[in-house]
Amino acid sequence: MIHNYLLLSILLFCLGIVGVISRRNVFTVFMSIELMLNAANLAFITFSRMHESMNGHVLAMMVIAVAAAEAALALAVVILLHKHKSTLDTNVFSLLKG
Amino acid sequence: MIADGLFIGFAMLAVLGAVGLILFQHPMNGAMSFVITLISLAGLYALLSAKLIFALQLIVYAGAIMSLIVFIIMFLNIQPDDLPKEETKLLYIIGSMIVVLPIGLFLVKIVKSLPMSSTAIIGNNFGGVKEVGLLLFKDWLVPFEIVSILLLVSLIGAVVLAGKREANK
Repeated sequence: MIHNYLLLSILLFCLGIVGVISRRNVFTVFMSIELMLNAANLAFITFSRMHESMNGHVLAMMVIAVAAAEAALALAVVILLHKHKSTLDTNVFSLLKG
Repeated sequence: MIADGLFIGFAMLAVLGAVGLILFQHPMNGAMSFVITLISLAGLYALLSAKLIFALQLIVYAGAIMSLIVFIIMFLNIQPDDLPKEETKLLYIIGSMIVVLPIGLFLVKIVKSLPMSSTAIIGNNFGGVKEVGLLLFKDWLVPFEIVSILLLVSLIGAVVLAGKREANK
């Protein structure tokens, strides 16, 4: 039964990777990254239940804090990029291309 | 059993929300379907007797972070014409699924080799605020402080990036 939780976590993680690879809208890419973080969280909580220790819960809290910090910074960057290029297409954001 | 039925319901909602996030053209629809995923994940945490993380997922993730994202999407006032044209989206999705499939199957094989374990709700206040808090401030004090520094850095970074005035240029 506990395997189903881990299988669901793998499925959500793979869907997150598919979203990052296949979509070009910067918001969708960003939310796919959040989806991968959530899949990792589910795996942490599942293993924590499996071993009946609460270290996984603490790690999941840290992941949520990192996701909050990432959201604040990434959205600031998105606003700046939209101001400069007036688009949301990740293919246009190629400032670092040599 | 009720817990099995709840798990199936929450799992289907989570996967449906994630698929909707990938397939919807407008990011607003994607964000709304991602909120469904987050809320059903909170239900799964409750089934795994993680009480504090259940509350944190609802308050911090589905509440704070997603409302920030939705606020920014509305702030930029995105019309359907502004969205990138993605004619080859389905092709890319199928291609990336082919790329990701071996990794997923490998992980599934690892999971199958793990020992079975029950998911019944355990007592002893497992996952409660007091227990996790004690663990956080005893064994995980240094990572906790590092996370506080990370939040400070991201706060300063967001102010520097988004709060730039024209006069400073």
